[in-house]
Amino acid sequence: MQSEKARLPIWLRYALLCVFCWGLWGFLSKVGSAAASPLQMQILFTLGMLPVAIGMLLHMRGKLDRDRIGISYGLLSGVATGLGTLGYFAALRQQDASVVTPLTAVFPILTVALAFAVLRERLNKVQMGGMFLALASIVILSI
Amino acid sequence: MHWTIYAGVAILLWGINGLFMKLGTNRVSARSMVIWVTVGFVVLLPWMWKLTSLAGLSTKVLMVGLIAGAVNGLGNWAVFACLERGAKASVAIPLTALYPLCTIALAMVFLRERPTGLQWIGIALAVAGGAMLSRESEQATAQQEQASCVR
Repeated sequence: MQSEKARLPIWLRYALLCVFCWGLWGFLSKVGSAAASPLQMQILFTLGMLPVAIGMLLHMRGKLDRDRIGISYGLLSGVATGLGTLGYFAALRQQDASVVTPLTAVFPILTVALAFAVLRERLNKVQMGGMFLALASIVILSI
Repeated sequence: MHWTIYAGVAILLWGINGLFMKLGTNRVSARSMVIWVTVGFVVLLPWMWKLTSLAGLSTKVLMVGLIAGAVNGLGNWAVFACLERGAKASVAIPLTALYPLCTIALAMVFLRERPTGLQWIGIALAVAGGAMLSRESEQATAQQEQASCVR
């Protein structure tokens, strides 16, 4: 019973896996960016994502979900991330990374606000406090 | 154009993207989302290629960039699976945005980098913030897991 309670919920295990993968991505980006420009790295990231997407497609035996609205959100997610990254690189051409990176790192605030307004999501008090601490840390760690 | 406009565009698009991710995983599987998101990235490739080329990069840098892309793709799958399993966008997006914590840990081990005093404060806040964000009520967690089992 005790071990059942201590078990991490599935969503949290995936979130931690994501933190690890993206953390490794950040580390490799740091290594690669010593020789390549951010835009060159972005091209390589896109090409590197292709085998993963193909692997997923093969795993699904080519049977992609056909919900058009869901597909639209997926495409919009890719384009929004890519264009946002290009905007970030454009800002870096005029201003130091020490200014641009912490500023753009506050993007989760917008997601939280939209999730509150559009999805009617509500955080408990502990999570609300955690969100502010997380945002503060995101800004500090990106300096 | 002034740099703040470009930075504002990045904040706006990345912030809205969190909503797209949740709305998308409400309708299609995490694996499908990875595929469509990758298509969304590929659409921008010709434009990026007009601005730069990969000529002159060493094989090592090319490999590092490609592996980083693959790992990023796996991270995308994990965040979609997290949202698919019922995580709130308002919890999952700030929580997964704590990934620099892992980057710093890897840089400490493999690049022998040492965090500055300010970074140590950031690390402490990230750990505390992450733990607090993950503190979903048992009832909510049970509901999420039940929903994912039904699916």
